[in-house]
Amino acid sequence: MQKGRKSVFPGGVHPTDGSDKVLSMDAAVQQYWPDTVTILSEQSFGGKCRLLVKAGDTVEEGQLIGEPEAFMAAPLHASVSGRVLDVTEVMNQGRKILACIVQREKEHREPEGVYRTAAADIRGISREEILAGIRDGGLTGMGGAGFPTHKKYETDKKIDTLLINGAECEPFLTCDYRLMLEEGHALVNGVRLLLKGSGAERAYICLEDNKPQAAENLSSILKEARESGVMESSEQVEVKVLPTKYPQGGERQLIQAVTGREVPMGGLPADVGVIVSNVGTARAAADMILGGLPLIRRIVTVTGSVKNPGNYLVPVGTSAKELLELAGGVTVSSNRVIAGGPMTGPCVASDWNGEEELFYITKNTSGILVLPDSAYEEQPCIRCGGCENACPAGLAPWKIDFAFQEEDYDLCEKLYASECIACGCCSYICPAKRELTVRTRMARDAVKQRMRERAVKKA
Amino acid sequence: MSQAGTITSPAAEAGKMEKKPARVINGPHVRTEKTTRRVMLHVSISLMPALLGAVYFFGIRALYLTALSVAVCVLTEYLWQKLTKKQITAGDFSAVVTGILLAFNMPVTAPAWVVVLTAVFSILVVKQMFGGIGNNFANPALMGRLLAMVVWPGAVMQYIAPVTLNADAVSSATVLGAVKTGGEAGYSYLQMFLGEIPGALGETSKLLLLVGFAYMCYMGIVNAEAAVTYIVTVLVLTFIFGPAGLFTGDILLNLFGGGLIMGACYMLTDYAFVTRRGRLLYAVTAGIITAAIRIFSIYPEGICFGILTANCLAGGLSLLQKRHVYGTRVGGNDRKRKIRN
Repeated sequence: MQKGRKSVFPGGVHPTDGSDKVLSMDAAVQQYWPDTVTILSEQSFGGKCRLLVKAGDTVEEGQLIGEPEAFMAAPLHASVSGRVLDVTEVMNQGRKILACIVQREKEHREPEGVYRTAAADIRGISREEILAGIRDGGLTGMGGAGFPTHKKYETDKKIDTLLINGAECEPFLTCDYRLMLEEGHALVNGVRLLLKGSGAERAYICLEDNKPQAAENLSSILKEARESGVMESSEQVEVKVLPTKYPQGGERQLIQAVTGREVPMGGLPADVGVIVSNVGTARAAADMILGGLPLIRRIVTVTGSVKNPGNYLVPVGTSAKELLELAGGVTVSSNRVIAGGPMTGPCVASDWNGEEELFYITKNTSGILVLPDSAYEEQPCIRCGGCENACPAGLAPWKIDFAFQEEDYDLCEKLYASECIACGCCSYICPAKRELTVRTRMARDAVKQRMRERAVKKA
Repeated sequence: MSQAGTITSPAAEAGKMEKKPARVINGPHVRTEKTTRRVMLHVSISLMPALLGAVYFFGIRALYLTALSVAVCVLTEYLWQKLTKKQITAGDFSAVVTGILLAFNMPVTAPAWVVVLTAVFSILVVKQMFGGIGNNFANPALMGRLLAMVVWPGAVMQYIAPVTLNADAVSSATVLGAVKTGGEAGYSYLQMFLGEIPGALGETSKLLLLVGFAYMCYMGIVNAEAAVTYIVTVLVLTFIFGPAGLFTGDILLNLFGGGLIMGACYMLTDYAFVTRRGRLLYAVTAGIITAAIRIFSIYPEGICFGILTANCLAGGLSLLQKRHVYGTRVGGNDRKRKIRN
């Protein structure tokens, strides 16, 4: 990293004053093990698995129940011990997805080992064992798109920096914050494993300066680990505090802020020698490699217009409806329910009355957010340039928007619509309330499709 | 915060989706509180001190003309949008801002019918016929002023001294006009700064305009960079190429004597420029033209022409501003795109 360079990325917005996070910030993580779970065969968009069980089978917690069928998929495990009630298609966020419904018959078994309370000795674990653990544990990204973690680490590119993403720049969400606060030891051990697995020289645990307690906690745990002698001096792990700005936790923006490098167009972080993993993924690595527990659970923030906002540690497949009931139910009838954070999370229901099923927790569901509904009219663009200033990718969303509405995809491509990261900054900042993010994202998809078609023609 | 938008997606309309969502709610689900209406409202509020100043210096007719101009602008916009069945945006205060600025560019002696006609012209021809808010190629209020200057020069170039001076209500030249024709300014710099000089309604009191501009800066709706650059460009050039040879220009006279501050603070702002480089380029261009008119032409002011010319050049100038797109910097591979499936 260059010395004296400010750790920032251009653009970005400050969507809130922080009062939103306060709702669930101090709520300690509660474990919740539902009676039935609905484990989706597609844990992230495009990450399809072939289910290995059928109705009537008995499964054990952590048992492999799904084999990857697609590039975006990671192995899938039973999140509870019990009996498979059914393997059927369920509605999830407007799509029919094959799922495995399991009735829980046994109590959850917490993984053994001292890695959750102290620095672990990882000298005896080889890089190959770590990579195998990442793959077999079904690890995926836990903050964003749910990219399979082993695909990132099994690269032939030279990796020098590992970034552990604890920025949690989305308003309202506090699951990563609670994790850094409550599971610091497991997290740090996980980071050390990932560092070894990646072959990088150093790892930075990155978080925003609105979480000073988490930064302090992790720093003291690191200090303790170094002093204990178990953590070797070659394991360079540092806590990196970044300014609070959305989308600080966007993979590309985080790389830019910390290392000053830019992932090339159409490339991956590994192209610039960086791997980014979420703090949840690091913890899951420790659970798998040191505790033998695959990725079957995660912390979910349930917040917004609910009676008791909180953070829940739940098995994959928990129903969002059940979690909302656990949080005391919604407090406004004219509402919208969002899966994830308010900036990038999709709206899964509006005017939800607390009865119908919503969706099921996957490995990358970070929160369930309820907001009061509101609507307004799109106004004409006033050419204020706000979106252009806010765009962290350096695009001109208003120009792309006009080009897209004119169906001028050549122009969209010239305006680099393909580089949109769909962070939502443009729609957030627009005084005319134009739906820039939605249309720029559609323009991006159209342009990428065209590029693919051209590539196919050439080949 | 906590506002969010709604548009109906084609997929939902086609009824292809399983569940009920007749409307698809798009993220992000938090939006800034700033709206077009609010921005324009703040601009209108920021013009109020100058309006009070105009009433103080020129009498109640100043208020009457301003109200008339605003009413005609808003009504014209509303009727046009109603008749052409366009989205009604007449309530967004942008027509109010145009109305106020238009009146501010008129002397207190301007006949009401001139104000009405220029207001209709500004809104109908300059703003709406080019597509309404955001699409007009030039500042409607300045185009209105230009029309009046060309068509009814006698009616709008007649300035009188402020009533506070107890002078006879005879027409007199503006300070800059008097100096241009070789006369004396006749007023102190303090009078110019406070606004006790003959001139158009809103432009005279620099103090009150700056108070309003400071309010806009405080509310975060304008960036002072362009305004300052414009003013500095004009002052430097008019100082260097002064009336009596190099470096003889009167900086304070050029700053406070005419409409420079009103132009810089309220007319110049063109949002087409996002980068600092683009904004400065635009402001310098406007400044050079304004200064050239002040130095070489028969017009004492040049604000109107300078800014309008820069407005027209904006499209070309904006091509000169470069924005870096993330991921395009990497070692020479600038345009090489690899597509990942």
